[in-house]
Amino acid sequence: MRKPDGKIVLLGDMNVGKTSLLQRYMERRFPDTVSTVGGAFYLKQWRSHNISIWDTAGREQFHGLGSMYCRGAAAVILTYDVNHPQSLVELEDRFLGLTDTANTDCLFAIVGNKVDLREEGATESQEKEGHSPGTAGASPKVPKHVRLEDAMALYKKILRYKMLDEKDAPAAEQMCFETSAKTGHNVDLLFETLFEMVVPMILQQRAQGPVQTVDISSYKPPRQTKAGCCA
Amino acid sequence: MMSTKAFTLVSAVERELLMGDRERVNIDCVECCGRNLYVGTSDCFIHHFLLEENALPAGTATFTATKQLHRHLGFKKAVSELRAASALNRLLVLCDNSITLINMMSLEPVPSGARIKGAMAFALNENPVSGDPFCVEVCIISVKRRTIQVFMVYEDRVQIVREVSTPEQPLAVAVDGHFLCLALTTQYIILNYSTGVAQDLFPYCSEEKRPIVKRIGRQEFLLAGPGGLGMFATVAGISQRAPVHWSENVVGAAVCFPYVIALDEEFITVHSMLDQQQKQTLPFKEGHILQDFEGRVIVATSKGVYILVPLPLEKQIQDLLASRRVEEALILAKGARRNIPKEKFQVMYRRILQQAGFIQFAQLQFLEAKELFRSSQLDVRELISLYPFLLPASSSFTRSHPPLHEYADLNQLTQGDQEKMAKCKRFLMSYLNEVRSTEVANGYKEDIDTALLKLYAEADHDSLLDLLVTENFCLLTDSAAWLEKHKKYFALGLLYHYNNQDAAAVQLWVNIVNGDIQDSTRSDLYEYIVDFLTYSLDRELVWKYADWVLQKSEEIGVQVFTKRPLTEQQKDSFNPEDVITCLKKYPKALVKYLEHLVVDRSLQKEEYHTRLALLYLDEVLRQGPGASGKGAEVTETQAKLRHLLQKSDLYRVHFLLDRIQGAGLPMESAILHGKLEEHEKALRILVHELRDFSAAEDYCLWRSEGRDPPYRQRLFHTLLAIYLGPGPSAHELTVAAVDLLNHRAAEFDAAQVLQLLPGSWSVQLLCPFLMGAMRDSVHTRRTTQVALGLAKSENLIYKYDKMKLKGSSVLLSDKNLCQMCQNPFCEPVFVRYPNGGLVHTHCAAGRHTNPSSPSPGART
Repeated sequence: MRKPDGKIVLLGDMNVGKTSLLQRYMERRFPDTVSTVGGAFYLKQWRSHNISIWDTAGREQFHGLGSMYCRGAAAVILTYDVNHPQSLVELEDRFLGLTDTANTDCLFAIVGNKVDLREEGATESQEKEGHSPGTAGASPKVPKHVRLEDAMALYKKILRYKMLDEKDAPAAEQMCFETSAKTGHNVDLLFETLFEMVVPMILQQRAQGPVQTVDISSYKPPRQTKAGCCA
Repeated sequence: MMSTKAFTLVSAVERELLMGDRERVNIDCVECCGRNLYVGTSDCFIHHFLLEENALPAGTATFTATKQLHRHLGFKKAVSELRAASALNRLLVLCDNSITLINMMSLEPVPSGARIKGAMAFALNENPVSGDPFCVEVCIISVKRRTIQVFMVYEDRVQIVREVSTPEQPLAVAVDGHFLCLALTTQYIILNYSTGVAQDLFPYCSEEKRPIVKRIGRQEFLLAGPGGLGMFATVAGISQRAPVHWSENVVGAAVCFPYVIALDEEFITVHSMLDQQQKQTLPFKEGHILQDFEGRVIVATSKGVYILVPLPLEKQIQDLLASRRVEEALILAKGARRNIPKEKFQVMYRRILQQAGFIQFAQLQFLEAKELFRSSQLDVRELISLYPFLLPASSSFTRSHPPLHEYADLNQLTQGDQEKMAKCKRFLMSYLNEVRSTEVANGYKEDIDTALLKLYAEADHDSLLDLLVTENFCLLTDSAAWLEKHKKYFALGLLYHYNNQDAAAVQLWVNIVNGDIQDSTRSDLYEYIVDFLTYSLDRELVWKYADWVLQKSEEIGVQVFTKRPLTEQQKDSFNPEDVITCLKKYPKALVKYLEHLVVDRSLQKEEYHTRLALLYLDEVLRQGPGASGKGAEVTETQAKLRHLLQKSDLYRVHFLLDRIQGAGLPMESAILHGKLEEHEKALRILVHELRDFSAAEDYCLWRSEGRDPPYRQRLFHTLLAIYLGPGPSAHELTVAAVDLLNHRAAEFDAAQVLQLLPGSWSVQLLCPFLMGAMRDSVHTRRTTQVALGLAKSENLIYKYDKMKLKGSSVLLSDKNLCQMCQNPFCEPVFVRYPNGGLVHTHCAAGRHTNPSSPSPGART
């Protein structure tokens, strides 16, 4: 089996579309997916590097596996559903903690998926407004959709959580995406932006030598000069 | 989910053999080491069997177990674990929280009584760190709370090397090198017992299910995770394989590459580690032990022992291929690389790739198919043979046996779908085109090129012609029949030509041009034929079709004679006489050919020149007298005629002159007279008949080319005389005369001219001429004077030299020696060289020249 040079992990609540995003990118299609069990991964050749992309299970049942999947990750894609504000909240509450095992210089991307549904909804609500102009702006209830600014705010929060200086980390504008696995909107951009950023990290890591893995094959037990039976 | 048959389940030890009729005895643990099978029971017995494997032709095997010994361990407890250490010939037996060492053969405890006490469970380190072959490393879960101990076990002694405490109570352990993989109460961890560094893997709930920790290879473990997942984890605490999905109540797991096998209450399930898919399910009730021992997988219920016999990988792969699961088959084949001898693997793998290629091909996955064919170096004929009629009849090819695929031919494969068929053909075209120049084609280039030709012809593909005009190995008979069938006559001609049958080729093309057969490949086929004949070395062929090409077009047809490459011309394979005879019927062609002979090849033969001139003349005459006016509207032919008459010296002038008489061609007459040196006649024609004074001047220049100046002067004087002579239009001629004198002053002898001129002419009129003449005269005089002066000076120099030589006397005494013979002079006669050297007269005669002075000496 080819050994991957770098790892990218998709995290996020169940049913936000992690598997669909990955399938859209890797297989250029948007099939019906079933709830992911445990996890799955793809190997992607980018330039001369093999990058493994892990699709994790969003179900609570498999939550405990997240830390292990994130261990040594070069980048984490935190995914939410733009039509479900709660899924963004979950990222901070449940999933951010899992990334503690990732590399110290791990990149974070925040991805709002299913924008195609929001657009459909938006046209509907516009029509509604057209019918009853008087009520516009009168009911500031719970926001129905997540705005990109909310994702950016979360991104900045993450940087603070990781105690990273905003100046050193990539800008929020660069790392927050709104995608649609169904239409393919921004999907290539998301993955390829990350690959472009991960490759230099791989090279840097290579130059520094392995950090995460302890190579026991090179371990030499201290030579003991005990008198054996044949000595 | 599609299933694979990876294993068959066979019985190894029947219940009767083990416990007879004792109903309440259960199997608690199993160990297998080589042919030795050990079974530990609930009544504290160890049974030793020898396993005999009987291979079956279907690829599976059956096992017979022969009972060797059985021994009671002397406790009332069950035997909970057994492990063999074959290097030590010892069996490690865990019973009643104590690990004892017993002899593998005799089942006797070691005399030393060495044992490890206080063990709840233990694991052998299969990746030992000590490097001592006579020692095994054993890791135990101690009865002490939250404690793991590591021991070195020798033949008859044990030694504790490490004790580590764990954050929670450990329930299961596996070990690799320094790394312990532990199932604790609430989570799995990796613990480096050398450094004490612990790494959390993931949480689970030990109250809900029994943990499984299984070393599956170097630095990698398999763990039972939440939701029935089989999780992979490395010693670094990361997962490099996606999990497999088991049922919730798995009690045991084992690995038999490339499969993960799991046991629950009802089934044995088989997942591939390569793609995580479940491959096989075997019903198996009440199983409670599943373990792998050096590749042999054993399952046991409490009453019987069974072996999971893996089907040979090759068989599995074939099964996968048979159900078109190419990807899986290839993954499995690649995965099998390390389990099969290299030579055998390569042969097998190549075949699998080829089979896979055909499967992809049948699904029209051409890119994948091509890659598989290429990497497996498929004998291309296997592919070609799928297409009906493509292989030449003479091909010795037979498909490999057993067959690489199940298809008789393309019709069967596509089920007659024309669109699919066309796609397949396009693929074969591009594939053959790619491989025909590679080493894959070696040995059967004929088959490949012939097939390619057939495909191109059928598809009306442009590359057909490219194939035929470059190096190719198309078989003639097969290809010819095919091309004919598809009416590719032009291409067929090319094929004939490539096979040195130019006659057949040309005949075919001629038939196309004549409309006897239809092929619109080339609209300029006639020109192509002419070109072909022009460069053909076959004289017979050219003669044969000369009439045909000339009948089509005299001007173009004649190129077969006129445009032949020079190298061939030197061999002179075509006799001009023959050609001319042939061209008699084609006057235009004949003119072209004679032009070619006279102009291009510069043949100096009177006949050609005369003939060409006559042909021109005839043409000019045919065009009518209207063309004979003054210079401007001269026809092309007339210009050619004049040019020939002027430039050539070989034609028969008198003959032509006779022909031209009275034809109203004064310019031509003038030229002919000029050729006869009848300048006055010629000039009279030009001046009086044509009144073309510039032509008259040109005539003088033309005829005096390469002659000496007096000749030229004579011509101009003749012309002047004609101008000045009596005639009807004296005034016009006078003007011409004045112009001539003024413009060509240098061509005349002024003195003579002055005598000719009438006295009435004013000096003003002839001013330019006179000035020129004067200047010329003065110039001549001065030049002559300079020459005279120079000659005089030269003479003076010579005189001076002579005086100098004569002026001094030469003294000759007996001290002087001859410079040649070095003897004294005996007579007063000597020779003196200009440099002063004195020699005997006879010496000087013997040697004409003095070495230091090449000029002859003056004798004194």
